[in-house]
Amino acid sequence: MKQADAALDLISKLALAGAAAVILVRPHHVSRIAGSPIVPKARDLTRTAVRRMLPRPAPPLSRALELRRLADRYSPSGRARQQELTRTAGRRLNGSAAMLALSVLADSAVEHYRGSFQNRAMYTPLVTSALTLGASLFGVADARASRHTIRDTVYAAAAATGVAGLCFHSYNILKRPGGWSWLNLFYAAPIGAPMAMALAGLLGRGAERVRDTRPYRQATVLGLPAGRMLAAVTAAGLAGTVGEVGLLHFRGAYHDPAMVLPVTVPPAAAVLLGATALRPSRFTNRIARWWLRLTALLGFAGVGFHAYGVSRNMGGWRNWSQNVLNGPPLPAPPSFTGLALAGLAALSLIEEETDA
Amino acid sequence: MPERYPGYDVLNKRNSMSWNEQTRRVIDKRLAIDPNRHRFFTDEEWPTIRAVCDRIVPQTVARPRPVPLAAMVDEKLHADRGDGYRYTELPPMREAWRRGLAALDAEARTRHRRRFHELGAIEQDAVLTAVQNGEVHNQAWRDLPAKSFFTKRVLHDIVSSYYAHPTSWNEIGFGGPASPRGYVRMYFDRRDPWEASEARPGREDLARRENAGVG
Repeated sequence: MKQADAALDLISKLALAGAAAVILVRPHHVSRIAGSPIVPKARDLTRTAVRRMLPRPAPPLSRALELRRLADRYSPSGRARQQELTRTAGRRLNGSAAMLALSVLADSAVEHYRGSFQNRAMYTPLVTSALTLGASLFGVADARASRHTIRDTVYAAAAATGVAGLCFHSYNILKRPGGWSWLNLFYAAPIGAPMAMALAGLLGRGAERVRDTRPYRQATVLGLPAGRMLAAVTAAGLAGTVGEVGLLHFRGAYHDPAMVLPVTVPPAAAVLLGATALRPSRFTNRIARWWLRLTALLGFAGVGFHAYGVSRNMGGWRNWSQNVLNGPPLPAPPSFTGLALAGLAALSLIEEETDA
Repeated sequence: MPERYPGYDVLNKRNSMSWNEQTRRVIDKRLAIDPNRHRFFTDEEWPTIRAVCDRIVPQTVARPRPVPLAAMVDEKLHADRGDGYRYTELPPMREAWRRGLAALDAEARTRHRRRFHELGAIEQDAVLTAVQNGEVHNQAWRDLPAKSFFTKRVLHDIVSSYYAHPTSWNEIGFGGPASPRGYVRMYFDRRDPWEASEARPGREDLARRENAGVG
């Protein structure tokens, strides 16, 4: 294996050196290739192919139709419809924050119990995530459009706790012998876990901003279109979660083929969601929506896979007091579901933003 | 000496999920060993091996269930379960014990004109020290190296038998076979709730309380 690696390394180095030598010694060859008509032709061909694959842009609206749209938008019924949309999106974002908070609550309870609550600060995420869960469920149940001060405050606290947790976990890794090493990243406090709490807080804050949208205005977060902003945050959150899963599933040596799923499906969803945040189009929105649904499903399926993982440890479920702590964490996968739900809510907002 | 693990009894784990059927079977068999039964050692050798065990691991503290050391060594020799290796200077396990015990008795006779088990503790220790240092005079040893017999048979078999018994596990806070339940909190100075709690000076009561919950 090592020999094969070394051989590949050598070949790639030789190829690079060869290319460099050609550029230096025979520049006219290079310029001829670069200047040949094949290059623009190939570029054009790719462009046409991509354009064909994308759906056709809608034909420009007639003057009358445009007027009607405007009238619709500012009519009482249009206003009600838009308010309904932001309210629903806000509640759905509250729901995603609830899912994340539930995952954090259960996961930190189990893992910090395992850590024997050695540090008093280890109780903090339990309290904060329980509060966040309560506030989020209240948000889901609350049919009023406006934001709520209590929810907003709790979400801010959750975000702050997440960031503080990141510092605590980094300190835990660094204080161990070996410091910043793979071993400690694998076995010390998980570096990515507190970020789920921070994300619950951020998405919750976003939910409150979206709910609070005034009539005839677009929903915004920090002055930017809410849909695209939240899509970007969710995409980043998915990417971070994938990093954490990748680290821990690598620790588990990918011994079950299903362990590859959470490092393949959610990254695609993150890329698609990021793409819709940067450049929304009906086409990417639609694919992103399906990938997000798949990711949400995977979050639930993950609990099942992890339960199976617990059963495969010695003594199985009968030996739960060891295996629930030692086996794959049961409450971890639903954080994917939480993020995917947030991504879906963000998508519905993006569609409204681009239609307008 | 104060107890290191006050109130700890590894047998409380017997019916918990720490042990499974296989583990229970093995430990039950070990606990059922009759301290007076000997199938490998002859009646002649029996008092000698018992006296040697008493000097190598003296069990002076009154215990509800002392380790039946001589009987455990006898069990091992009777089953002829070897270690999987043999030192070239020593004959096979059984033969080494037979010849070694006979030579030990002979050595005691040469030095004190009595058999080994008839000696006082100080004299017994003197004989064993001589064997340990290879300073033996009796012809009975012949080509059996006394030094190796002491370190690689006497110490090895008696001490490993001692620490195979639940009574000594209580003494050192060992949890017995980790089968099926192993340990979760692997970091320094952390304790799983099903693990023995060591008494820190002045906090013996805490350890006793925690040990009462071990199961």
